[in-house]
Amino acid sequence: MFAKIEKNQALTLGLIAALFLVYAYTTSLPRITDFIIFCIFVMGFDLLYGHMGQLSFGHMLYLGAGAYGCGMFAYHVSPNPFVCILMGILTAAGLAALLGQVVVKTGGAAFALLNLALNEVGAYLVLSPMHRITGGEDGLSLFFQSYGFINFGDSVFRFYFCLAVLLLVAFLLLRLVRSPFGNLLKAIKEDEVRARFLGYNTYLYKYVTFIISGAVCGLAGALTSVNLAYCNTSLIAPTRNVEVIFSALIGGAGSVMGAVVGGTAYMTISNYLAAYIVRWEMFLGIALLFFAFYFRKGIWGYARRA
Amino acid sequence: MINLIQSLLYGLTIGGVLYIISVGLSLTFGAMGIVNFSHGLVYAVGAYAVYTVAKLLGAGYLLGLVAAIVVSIPLSYLIERLVIRRLYGQAIDYAIIATYAVLLIGADSLRWVYGASPLPISDPVGVLWTFGGLQMPAFRLIIIILSGLIFIGLNLFFKKTLVGKIVVAGLQDREAVRSLGIKVERHFAIVFVIGSALAALGGALYAPLSTLDPYMGFEILILCFAVVIVGGMGNLTGTTIAAFALGMVHSLTAVYIVSSAADAAVYVVMAAVLIFRPIEA
Repeated sequence: MFAKIEKNQALTLGLIAALFLVYAYTTSLPRITDFIIFCIFVMGFDLLYGHMGQLSFGHMLYLGAGAYGCGMFAYHVSPNPFVCILMGILTAAGLAALLGQVVVKTGGAAFALLNLALNEVGAYLVLSPMHRITGGEDGLSLFFQSYGFINFGDSVFRFYFCLAVLLLVAFLLLRLVRSPFGNLLKAIKEDEVRARFLGYNTYLYKYVTFIISGAVCGLAGALTSVNLAYCNTSLIAPTRNVEVIFSALIGGAGSVMGAVVGGTAYMTISNYLAAYIVRWEMFLGIALLFFAFYFRKGIWGYARRA
Repeated sequence: MINLIQSLLYGLTIGGVLYIISVGLSLTFGAMGIVNFSHGLVYAVGAYAVYTVAKLLGAGYLLGLVAAIVVSIPLSYLIERLVIRRLYGQAIDYAIIATYAVLLIGADSLRWVYGASPLPISDPVGVLWTFGGLQMPAFRLIIIILSGLIFIGLNLFFKKTLVGKIVVAGLQDREAVRSLGIKVERHFAIVFVIGSALAALGGALYAPLSTLDPYMGFEILILCFAVVIVGGMGNLTGTTIAAFALGMVHSLTAVYIVSSAADAAVYVVMAAVLIFRPIEA
């Protein structure tokens, strides 16, 4: 049943929208808005991890670039929310285009660790040398202009806006991974040398994917700072990378739907269960071990096959 | 001039500590193809063992060093047996995730027992050597000497002992060694425990120069990964040179630019190295 849903694009998007609407109206709109934004982040990350087969341990950098690109533009230049979000995406994509030239040439362990190291550098830059424009440890409090019903101060509008963005990103990513480009990504994941043998410039494909992934994560970051009306260093903290990796893993890496399921599942656990779990990181660690050893398909991967 | 010599000596200290910790990391990577985040846990446990023995029990720093090594051996054996051994020949991302999970569990346990606030350990020697205008805590000199001794000891181990020779051979061609009827994995496990004991020693040595907190392993670990990547994964000579070179970068940045930029400078050097010599592992 789930496999059929995934084949039909309209059904997939409709299901995502319906589930989020039900979830939001049975719990609380602002909280589910956080969930939705996080799902966008997981989708961006999973494009690299699940579809291209490279684990980045530093994608908080691109979330942070998007958040600060958006936040700094709103704070220093103009409070137009749409321009700010666009600036967030451009900042993250530009950073990915710059760093990707080095990062994409590596693979496996070096890829993961180089991303982590760059994330550390980024977090340091935001915290200390650039504190005059980033607000340093205090971060920035943001205000966004409202135009009629387009009011980012209103939590109901923010919810529907983020949901629309999520559906748009999911639609574009579904198109992307089912295109010849997506097939080539799968080929690179399976065996990069063979893909190169067929005459493809795998470096270029990986580079473009890295930029797209950075841009999607930047979008998630920009939405985060719009949603919270502030941005601070927790949005670029290297220690938070494990959250997105965990989400991609529990949802089932390598599928757009899996990213949404994983992101929602992680946020549900961390928002509703964390109050009952005294040792949160220990719980997270044990769950990670379980998923890494016994349940690599993830929730969606399991449901799809069953 | 004096300032320069002093910061070079400080660089040697940091380089020495980085070397002691990175050797195990480099071996695990070269031998088993595993990025071992749980190494950071063993490092932190070493530091906390010193804290417990030297400060809480009042038994002195030297006994603390011994305790750090003694505690690290069963701990690393358990990690090897329960986690690392399942990861042989698996995709690298599962190794990263699983060992990171061990680091999380361990760091949270440390926080459970000792609390989250940073704990200080005072300089165990407490002697400040002055030479002209040069000031140098004796403890830092001891670290430099100790790291030199460990370097010599490890070289002897890898060149003269049978286990060491098997490991070096296994690093180059695992299948060939296995075809001689030698159980390579078992020897790698011995080396894994030795590497972990060194990490605990590194944690115990570095603790008086900084403060303890449950997540201390994470930060030093990224520095050590930089050392391992710059030195070439599994390359022991490269690791040694990279550890001291990056220690210098760390110390000189801290003195001549800003102290908070020191870690970032190391990562920038690492990225620069990867530009000219990409690793497709």
